[in-house]
Amino acid sequence: MKKLISDISAIPEPYQFISILWLSFLMAGVATGIFFSVIDPMQLEACVDFPEMGRIGAYTTGFFLFWILTAASSLLSCYFILPRKGSGAGDQSKADQA
Amino acid sequence: MNAPRNDADIQQSLFEKRQKIYPREVHGRFARLRVISIITLLGLFYALPWIDWDGRQSVLFDLPARKFHVFGLTFWPQDFLLLAFLLMLAALSLFFFTAIAGRLWCGYACPQTVWTEVFLWMERMIEGDRIAQMRLDNKPMSWKKFRIKATKHAVWIIFSLHTGATFIGYFVPIRELTSQIMTLELGAWATFWMLFYGFATYGNAGWMREQVCIYMCPYARFQSAMFDDDTMVVSYDAKRGEPRGRRRFDDEEKRAQLGDCINCTLCVQVCPTGIDIRDGLQYECIGCSACIDACNDVMDKVGYEPGLIRYTTQNLIEGKPSRIIRPRIVIYGTILLSLTGLFIYIAGTRTPLALDVIRDRNQLYRESRGMIENVYKLKIINMDEQPHTYSLSVSGIDDIRLELEQAKIRVDSGKVMALPVRLLVREDTLTSRSSDIEFTLTATADPELSVSEHARFIGPMP
Ligand code: SF4
Ligand code: SF4
Repeated sequence: MKKLISDISAIPEPYQFISILWLSFLMAGVATGIFFSVIDPMQLEACVDFPEMGRIGAYTTGFFLFWILTAASSLLSCYFILPRKGSGAGDQSKADQA
Repeated sequence: MNAPRNDADIQQSLFEKRQKIYPREVHGRFARLRVISIITLLGLFYALPWIDWDGRQSVLFDLPARKFHVFGLTFWPQDFLLLAFLLMLAALSLFFFTAIAGRLWCGYACPQTVWTEVFLWMERMIEGDRIAQMRLDNKPMSWKKFRIKATKHAVWIIFSLHTGATFIGYFVPIRELTSQIMTLELGAWATFWMLFYGFATYGNAGWMREQVCIYMCPYARFQSAMFDDDTMVVSYDAKRGEPRGRRRFDDEEKRAQLGDCINCTLCVQVCPTGIDIRDGLQYECIGCSACIDACNDVMDKVGYEPGLIRYTTQNLIEGKPSRIIRPRIVIYGTILLSLTGLFIYIAGTRTPLALDVIRDRNQLYRESRGMIENVYKLKIINMDEQPHTYSLSVSGIDDIRLELEQAKIRVDSGKVMALPVRLLVREDTLTSRSSDIEFTLTATADPELSVSEHARFIGPMP
């Protein structure tokens, strides 16, 4: 765990966000590819009440929805990996050592 | 756990401004190789969508029409597995070549490197060489500086937009695209993606450059796992080079004391990621071998042997034996070869017709007037360029009778048809509870175009 976290702090802050966005961009691309090779947006349009936007529009919208999801997931992971502030965990082991 | 970062650190990393790297131009064997590779790859990228094949754009991933054309072959969404297979092969060959020769991909073929080189070249044409660029950047803003910078960015932006348009041209037919751009009738979505890709090119190749490799590239992170001490890498021969130091040609005594590195720092100046290869193999090194060219040039001028910086392996540098054939290579190689073979086989024997047989789940069988009836649903996928009419037959049991709800099985190009089918068999011909049968679907116009699929026929215990 230690290594993971020290690596994060070695990356300049703006790039931490870019990494989140960029890698989730890649994953969203994969997800979009799989999703739309199985499902034709035209068929989807026929059974769901979506505004009409054509195939390219549907691909684009789908891609951005996937991107929001993947980015949110990466962002949350990064957030939860960071050390907690004001946490009492670990105090006991410190007391044991003393 | 780690020590919490204090505020000062965070402040610093927030405000730490990236030092711009001004790579110096290099000439030499590897620089030539790189230029050849760049011209070939970019030439292909910009020209391919304009080349026709069989009266159609040679490479077109026609997203609006949901079919991919690659030189006379047409792929449908149903071929998705083939594509996934291809991507896996690509990843695996990347592993293989990385294990043998390090970051060949980064130095010669990665779009990031290729476009950055082109942008660097344009920058050099407009702003001048490394020294001139640094001088210009240190000067206060003036009319002249503004003009030079504006020209550079204008050229970059035009080039990026062209790149974006070409990229979109792989997904919608490029001739239509061009005329739509000319008449300003391009759809909103296509315009969006064109600007998106253009902007990414401009940002990545013009501004971010080596930062992309260092902080954003997933491959750069993984590649070290594929390295071992027998991998070819660009390295500096410290044994031979150290102690480094400047010297005069005629100072024999000093020459004898020093190693071969004259500490001219040219290898650092040419490095696109701004590192000093003399510090050892580093994560940032993209293996572009610019430093090899630079150093060989210097060695030549001062009359030393070339190769102070060279492609070699960690083992060789340490004077140990080095081998190319090793378990890692054999394993990667075997997997790669067998998967490639399998892929070629699948792609080569692929018939543009698929048949799926699904048994009706509600009822195993039905009896009527001495006949046993089974119901199936057939899924027919026509992956050919034209619509087809097919004839369906079934075999496996004597006198098996096939009943369809429609007289003709006609499927349009690229379409999937669900076809309910009833099979009738005389009870006395059944020899077991479950018999093997085979459906065969053949195109009426082309008997070669035929697929068969096994299924089971269920009846009562005989
Ligand atoms: S150290 Fe040499 S090979 Fe590595 S990136 Fe720099 S110039 Fe290229
Ligand atoms: S280019 Fe060669 S001689 Fe010059 S500093 Fe680098 S390693 Fe030393």
